[in-house]
Amino acid sequence: MSVVYALVAASLFGCGLYMVLSRAVVRLVLGLSLVATAVNLMIFQAGRIRSEQPPIIPAGAKQLGESADPVPQALILTAIVIGFALTVMFAALALRSYRDRGTLVNEGAGPAEQLGDPFTGSVGDDR
Amino acid sequence: MIAWLLALSFAGSCVAWPLSRLFGRRAAGWLLSLVPAGLFVAFLGMAPTIEAGEAITQTLAWAPSLGVDLSFRLDGFSFLFALLITGIGALVVIYSGAYMSEESKRNRARFFTLILLFMTAMLGAVLSDNLLVVFLFWEATSILSFLLIGFDADSPSARRAALMSLRVTAAGGLALLAAIILIGATLGSYSLSDAVAHTGELAQSRWIVPIMIGLLLGVFTKSAQFPFHFWLPNAMQAPTPASAYLHSATMVKLGIYLLARFEPLVGAVPLGRDVVVTVAIVTMLVGAVQVLRAEHFKAVLAYSTVASLGILVMLVGLDGPAATAAMVGYILAHALYKATLFFCAGSVLHTTGLSKLRAMGRLARFLPVTAVAAAFASLSMAGLPPFVGFISKEFLFLAQIQSSWDAVPLAAAVLVNAVIVGAAGVVTLRPFFMGRGTVKEVRHGETPGLLLAPVVLALLGLLVSLEPGWVSRAVLRPAAAVVYGAPVEIDLALWHGLTPMLALSAVVIAIGAVIFIFWRPIHVRLRLRRSIDRFDTEDGYELLIRRVEALAAGTARRVQHGDLRVYVQVVLAGAAAFVLWGMIAVGRAPRPPSIAGIGGLRIGPTAVALIGLAAGVAATRARSLLSTMIAVGLVGLVTALIFMMNGAPDLALTQFAVESLIVVLLAIVLLVLPSAAPSTRTARQRTLDAALSIAFAAIMFVALLDMGMAPRHDEVSAFYGAQSYLAAFGRNVVNVILVDFRGFDTLGETTVIALAAVFAWSLLGPRTALESAATTAEATRAHGAFILRITSPIFFWLLAVLSVAILLRGHNEIGGGFVGGLVAALAFALLALASGVARARAVLRFHPLSLVGTGLLLAIASGIPGLVLHGDFLRHAWIDVTLFGIHIHQGTALIFDLGVYTVVLGGVLAFLFGLRREAAR
Amino acid sequence: MIADTVADTMADGIAFWPVAIPLGAAAITTLLRRRPALQRGAMEAAVLLMLASSVWLLAHVAHAGIAGMAFGGWGAPFGVTFVADRLGAALTTVTSLVALAVAIYARAEIRARRRRAGFDPIFLAMLAAVNGAFLTGDIFNLYVWFELMLVVAMGLVTIDRRPAQIDGAIRYAAMSMLGATFILIGIGLLYGETGTLDMASISAALVGREPSMTLSAAAYLLFAGFALKAGLFPFFFWLPASYHTAPITASAALAGLLTKVGFYACLRVFVVVFHAVGEPAVPGLPALFTMVAVATMVLCVLAAIAQIDVRRLLAFHIICQVAYMMLGLALLSLLGITAAIFYMLHSMLVQAGLFLGAGAMGRATGGYDLRRAGGLMRERPLLAALFATLALSLSGVPPLSGFWAKFLVIDAAFRGGATWLGVTALVVGLLTLYSMSEIWTDAFWRSPPRPGKLTRAVPPAMVTAMALLAACTMGMGLAIGPVSGFARAAAVQMLTPTTTGQDASSPTAAPMLIPMKVDRWAP
Repeated sequence: MSVVYALVAASLFGCGLYMVLSRAVVRLVLGLSLVATAVNLMIFQAGRIRSEQPPIIPAGAKQLGESADPVPQALILTAIVIGFALTVMFAALALRSYRDRGTLVNEGAGPAEQLGDPFTGSVGDDR
Repeated sequence: MIAWLLALSFAGSCVAWPLSRLFGRRAAGWLLSLVPAGLFVAFLGMAPTIEAGEAITQTLAWAPSLGVDLSFRLDGFSFLFALLITGIGALVVIYSGAYMSEESKRNRARFFTLILLFMTAMLGAVLSDNLLVVFLFWEATSILSFLLIGFDADSPSARRAALMSLRVTAAGGLALLAAIILIGATLGSYSLSDAVAHTGELAQSRWIVPIMIGLLLGVFTKSAQFPFHFWLPNAMQAPTPASAYLHSATMVKLGIYLLARFEPLVGAVPLGRDVVVTVAIVTMLVGAVQVLRAEHFKAVLAYSTVASLGILVMLVGLDGPAATAAMVGYILAHALYKATLFFCAGSVLHTTGLSKLRAMGRLARFLPVTAVAAAFASLSMAGLPPFVGFISKEFLFLAQIQSSWDAVPLAAAVLVNAVIVGAAGVVTLRPFFMGRGTVKEVRHGETPGLLLAPVVLALLGLLVSLEPGWVSRAVLRPAAAVVYGAPVEIDLALWHGLTPMLALSAVVIAIGAVIFIFWRPIHVRLRLRRSIDRFDTEDGYELLIRRVEALAAGTARRVQHGDLRVYVQVVLAGAAAFVLWGMIAVGRAPRPPSIAGIGGLRIGPTAVALIGLAAGVAATRARSLLSTMIAVGLVGLVTALIFMMNGAPDLALTQFAVESLIVVLLAIVLLVLPSAAPSTRTARQRTLDAALSIAFAAIMFVALLDMGMAPRHDEVSAFYGAQSYLAAFGRNVVNVILVDFRGFDTLGETTVIALAAVFAWSLLGPRTALESAATTAEATRAHGAFILRITSPIFFWLLAVLSVAILLRGHNEIGGGFVGGLVAALAFALLALASGVARARAVLRFHPLSLVGTGLLLAIASGIPGLVLHGDFLRHAWIDVTLFGIHIHQGTALIFDLGVYTVVLGGVLAFLFGLRREAAR
Repeated sequence: MIADTVADTMADGIAFWPVAIPLGAAAITTLLRRRPALQRGAMEAAVLLMLASSVWLLAHVAHAGIAGMAFGGWGAPFGVTFVADRLGAALTTVTSLVALAVAIYARAEIRARRRRAGFDPIFLAMLAAVNGAFLTGDIFNLYVWFELMLVVAMGLVTIDRRPAQIDGAIRYAAMSMLGATFILIGIGLLYGETGTLDMASISAALVGREPSMTLSAAAYLLFAGFALKAGLFPFFFWLPASYHTAPITASAALAGLLTKVGFYACLRVFVVVFHAVGEPAVPGLPALFTMVAVATMVLCVLAAIAQIDVRRLLAFHIICQVAYMMLGLALLSLLGITAAIFYMLHSMLVQAGLFLGAGAMGRATGGYDLRRAGGLMRERPLLAALFATLALSLSGVPPLSGFWAKFLVIDAAFRGGATWLGVTALVVGLLTLYSMSEIWTDAFWRSPPRPGKLTRAVPPAMVTAMALLAACTMGMGLAIGPVSGFARAAAVQMLTPTTTGQDASSPTAAPMLIPMKVDRWAP
């Protein structure tokens, strides 16, 4: 089973990277969130795929019996929420940038690198 | 004692600024000259000790751990330099006072400060015994001379000359630093006297070649040896007093000083002397030729200085005691007459405004005393009796005859000296006494300030040779003895009888006279001969600078080209390459897969996983952004299923909530954007990207397989399983890890959400009341369908209650603050979609950021009891209360989770409202 | 009685205050967002308290050797711990100094509008994140702080919402998120291999373990992620693409602190966790480290020379300086680590100072274009002197701290037999001086290109902030004995092999493990 999950996680990772390499900012954003999902799957396997039993101590019992490794789950929970925040932040940036430039395609140096570019020579003033 | 003298000198340069602002144009120079003059006297006071052949030392600890201490050492050689630096320094300061009298107060103050600082740096350099401290002062002289040469910063040529001298000397300085570090690494000490004492050890070390290269580079750049000599003539851009100081007694002599110190090492290293002497001879000849071609008064002096420096370096290179004696004598003589001539040139420039020699003539009418001083100095420079220059030249020839060298250096010396004789005539006779005086009147006559310095030095040049006793006893002999390592007999008599040296002097004078007489034709011929310019390495410097600039521009273009896609490509390729390199370096195959490690293949999960894989691939192929988003969302849902199937219900729940929220929020964005997104990459680029992605994915696949086969260490998770209920009172181990075992991570993560919310509001929120008023109108518009508008309140309350339930039961059952917050946010998102943001905000009542701030404070506060009670932040305190027979066991963990809940809710809503607002614009 | 409790609490939290104070202040300033004046007051108070607490921590660690905090009372390897060793304490202190300078400068540049946009919470959260990264002993916790840094950096860059800033933030985010991803995967693999996240425990687990694919993948992914954060070749593109778009206050803070955290993580993880010095747990590190360091330093110093916008020029110098630290690490020797540590402390101060100087220059001349600047020395001599001090320090002129930093690196290189690395460092130093002398000549020395154009007044706050940092680099240079001694002690402490279960308060050994209090065990 772990081979299948490894395969899926790695492939999703690759798909995400392929989208990240696109010039369209929104594809970049979606690619990053896909990568994040894939990474979560990878971390999940760090605890090995060993049990379908959730790590919840059943009523009556005092200690956890055989169950899935809880540590990676805690890490992934953190990672999911952080990834969510970052994806949305990036989406907000994309929206703003579309408002500014009327396009979402990154061709060549954008406004950031035209600012103070030694060769086109437009240098920002102290506003 | 010595350290205090240095400190005094530094203090003097610090008060120079206020004092010179305080006192008028006349007084300042005289007053400030008391600093160097006082030091001069103080050093004179040490003469008896020096004469006895002893050294005065003083050591202050600085950084013993690095072998760096402020150890100062005044021996014969540094004594000679100290006298020159302070003595001539005093005269320079007086002279500058007069020379700068027309300058603005500020400029005069600046100049005095710089000159005195420069003097301090020079003193420090010749007095320090620790090579790193020597280097410190060495660099200081480079930077101060940079400021002096470019003193008139408004003139581009001055700035250019300043930068040139800085770059050349700094480059040499770094080479010297390398040599010093290597010496320290070899001997385990940076002490100069140790280094000289352990010459043999150094010569044997494996570092000797780099050490010598670094040392010589430092020396040659500093004392303007070929091919680095070009900065010196350019440095004439400096105000004349500065030039007089830099080029007679100080800056350029510093290189000679260090080289002379390491004279034994030069001798001990094979080819050492050959290299030094060769470079010196080339320098002498180049300097001589350029003297003949020079037009300006100062330029002639500058190139003659280059030639003289060549002679000095040659004298260091030659072996035998006479060479050392000659070197010491020449340093003294050269300092005296060269400074005088610079002063005279300055006076001419100042009174007539002329710099070209041709224009000058019969200036003696206006500047009689200056003319006499110049004459004296020139006679000394020409090496005529009874001036000290004559004696030093005798020594020079004696040294060459006694040295083990063949006739080449001798011939060169004769030739060069002859040229110098000619130059001496040209810079004195022509401008002051001969020629048709084109000058009709001068701006002002000779002032005492302008006169004192040249007169004193010119007279000294005579005095030393007529009454040599004290100078040779107290200054020259000790200096030579220190450098040579054994007592050296120096007889400063004018008449040694009919010696070969006398004959050589005669020859030199004769040729010199001829050169002088035929100066114009020679001068013109040589100027016309452009081929000589090839020896002018300045072009090489210019070329190098241009090359560097071009290389820099090219690098900047290639490295920071501005194409984000290529950046990302390089980043991914780089990372993949790193990992690949690491895996190859392991040098063994991945762990072999075992059935136990793999676990049996289950049909259902496999099918689900493959669906996810298909969705991922679909996302890469999808044309429109909407379908891409749906595909990515599908992957998220499948991942949630996978979590569900493998004992991670919490993850599944969170993933579901996150996916639905992402859909809601991204939908807002996508509705604004053009949905059709044509492919932005050419087919070739897409293949390239695909190859890159697949390669990286393959690497990760191998790593994952290998990890799956690694032996498990589950002490930590076992501990959590064992302690979760007993010690942390929670049955849901994941939640207990989040709020207790690793609660601090959760706090940090909560902060991330909080700051993301702040970011959202800063990026999307209104900045002014006007903005907010303008946008509420659109924001209030309801978008949802009618039915949704009707039902949304019901769903809203359902979800809201559910979220609270999830929060409360989280500690023991599936759920927790995160999921709860997400579900609550989902409720508001639904409401906002249906009835508009304004309605949602009305229901919420609080500003999203207020929620965020409060939640964060709650989460932090929940950790404080533990800190107070047990000294562990976030160590939860528990209470048991029984109300109406219901036994409640709760603790600060709940407060913590409540904080998380609030922050997540506020954070998501900040984005929701912000995006809606921005989309409505 | 209460006084005792307070005193005990303060003493218990000694390793935590440098993070707790800015964290709490960030929450408070978020609530105060409509009251710019109060926000500023809270921010400045927090910075001062943070400085005090970090100095206290430094003083404590200087003799006790280490201070720690076991969050939730769960000691390593079960809970998250803070482990303030000499290095961490020193870095925290320098961070506070930089923060103070930036806060002073902010008085002149950050007006109410930017405060309403959330400058204060973002800035404070950044300080918390930086200190947290310097103090934490848990590698996943380190990752969390890195994410927080990513978020706040985006916030600082886009504070004015100018098109250039938005675009810069996109470029920054696109690459930094990939970096964070690499780190996360690395941590996951590391957990899969060792079953723990506590750095000291992982380090102990890796002693004498034969290399494996998983370990290598983890190590090199972590290196890629940290190198990206540190702005090393081939990952540095985001830095010159974004930093120069932010307000100077923000870019100074970013320039001074963030890249150094990336390098710090490299240093900590590879020296302590992977035993890079001695017998490394993963093969092939030295070659890669050296390649990265040399390529970065050469490329970036050249790229810097070509720039005409001071902020971009300095951005490239930041990277170049990090490369010097990397060179120190690449030598994998006690001397090298010492040099790297000293270089970090020096560089944080000077980089921030130079950016502030660029800001003052921009304020005076009305722009950052070197071709249009000039005449500052005549009209603003103090500013010129301060900038010169910082620039000379960066180019490594004695006796400023920059000289000693380069000296230590080159000395370590030569003594380590890596002659060519030493020579490279020297040449790059020369090019740095070349670039700095050009800035100074153009902007300060020469008369303004357009004659008669008078420079604008520079607020005293800006000059004060610069003066503070200039004084720091001067002081570090003059007090080189104790400072370099401390750096050496910190390096020794890092290199001392970790052994679990040692007494955490013994100054002799270097126990990077904060043990659990016995009473936490359930019966």
